[in-house]
Amino acid sequence: MIRRPLSGFATIVVFVALSGTLLAALPAQKSQTKKTAFAAGSSSQAKSAEAAPSVTTISVGGVNDIDPAKAFGSKNAPVVMEVYSDFQCPACKTLFTSTTQKVMDNYVNSGKVFLIHRDFPLPMHAYSRVAASYSRAAAHIGKCDEVEQALFRNQEKWEMTGDVVGTVAAALSPAEMKRVQALVDAKIFEPLIEKDKQMGQIVPVNQTPYTVLHTKSGQTFPVVGFVSYDVLKTFLDQLVAQK
Amino acid sequence: MMQSTPFNFRRVFLWICRIVLAAVFLYAGSAKLLGWGLHLHPSIESTKLSLLYFALQVDSYQLLPPWAVQFVAHTLPLAEIAIGLLLLIGWLLPLWTTLVTLLIAGFFATVVRAYLLHLDINCGCFAKPEPLTGLTVLRDGALLLIAVLMTVFAFQESRRPHPWSASKSDQPV
Repeated sequence: MIRRPLSGFATIVVFVALSGTLLAALPAQKSQTKKTAFAAGSSSQAKSAEAAPSVTTISVGGVNDIDPAKAFGSKNAPVVMEVYSDFQCPACKTLFTSTTQKVMDNYVNSGKVFLIHRDFPLPMHAYSRVAASYSRAAAHIGKCDEVEQALFRNQEKWEMTGDVVGTVAAALSPAEMKRVQALVDAKIFEPLIEKDKQMGQIVPVNQTPYTVLHTKSGQTFPVVGFVSYDVLKTFLDQLVAQK
Repeated sequence: MMQSTPFNFRRVFLWICRIVLAAVFLYAGSAKLLGWGLHLHPSIESTKLSLLYFALQVDSYQLLPPWAVQFVAHTLPLAEIAIGLLLLIGWLLPLWTTLVTLLIAGFFATVVRAYLLHLDINCGCFAKPEPLTGLTVLRDGALLLIAVLMTVFAFQESRRPHPWSASKSDQPV
């Protein structure tokens, strides 16, 4: 008696042929993606040069255009973590209050991670760009953490009223607020916010929060949306332990 | 002399469904295990890294506690590869097609939930950055439909003997 002599074998043959075709197409697709990314990077860099910001940016671990006032930790850290966020986005608030703060305490302060805060104000949020401007100005007078905390923790209040200035003022002394207001009015740091947005568009960031982890060996790991500290911690430990 | 199998739409459709879903599951499992979307060099270290990266994507659905996230991230890719191979081999087909259908129904429910909650996250389906959009929901819905049809046809086929294996008395005159 013959019991389906070729069905399993033939299925495997068909599958192997399909897989071969799929795999053969992969390298071409990969190189094309790289070329596109390179072209996008070049045109963006040209645009950035035209913008000519008055504040200098730095490069760390292969990551360019970093505003030192919005970056924390050792420049020799084995992992660079870029967080693109919008002050009016609820998931960004959750990420900041429950994950990023713990990463600051346990990885940034111990020199294992270099953390970069990137502004990516989304057009659908009416006050996020204003909040980004005040946060950036505050960062340049050394009050980044205080103002970011105030903006995220009181997000529900100021997004209803639009009172970004009052929220920032409550976190600073009158003298500090005066300095911040002067910097915001002078629009000195607007090119830096634009640069962050351009960097995000290259990634491409299409939603917030968006985290990109970079290793010394050049690997990049994009993480979209909220991620809990415990799960991120396991991943960071593995990245830090990598040779 | 061996007879050729008479054309049977149901059997052909079942074959196509098996090949399509096996390919999807084998690709998804291998991509997560080997980090294809991340361009990692194959090694035990990179496999570990790839699974931990997949855990981040599972976690972004905000559905499971951290220990369960790690469990799913470390077992799902292997389960997907095993199921893909079992679908190809065809052994105990009704059982495995049922399991595949339940698994895809679970994926579909998870993706629909994330979409309705407006969670701006990556799908994590093939271990590469792929935003979860309406198209992802449609794709998973289509896969679920294929899986349901495959399961129904697998049960129907299992009840009637295959022409090659049927004895002469079973065959229609």
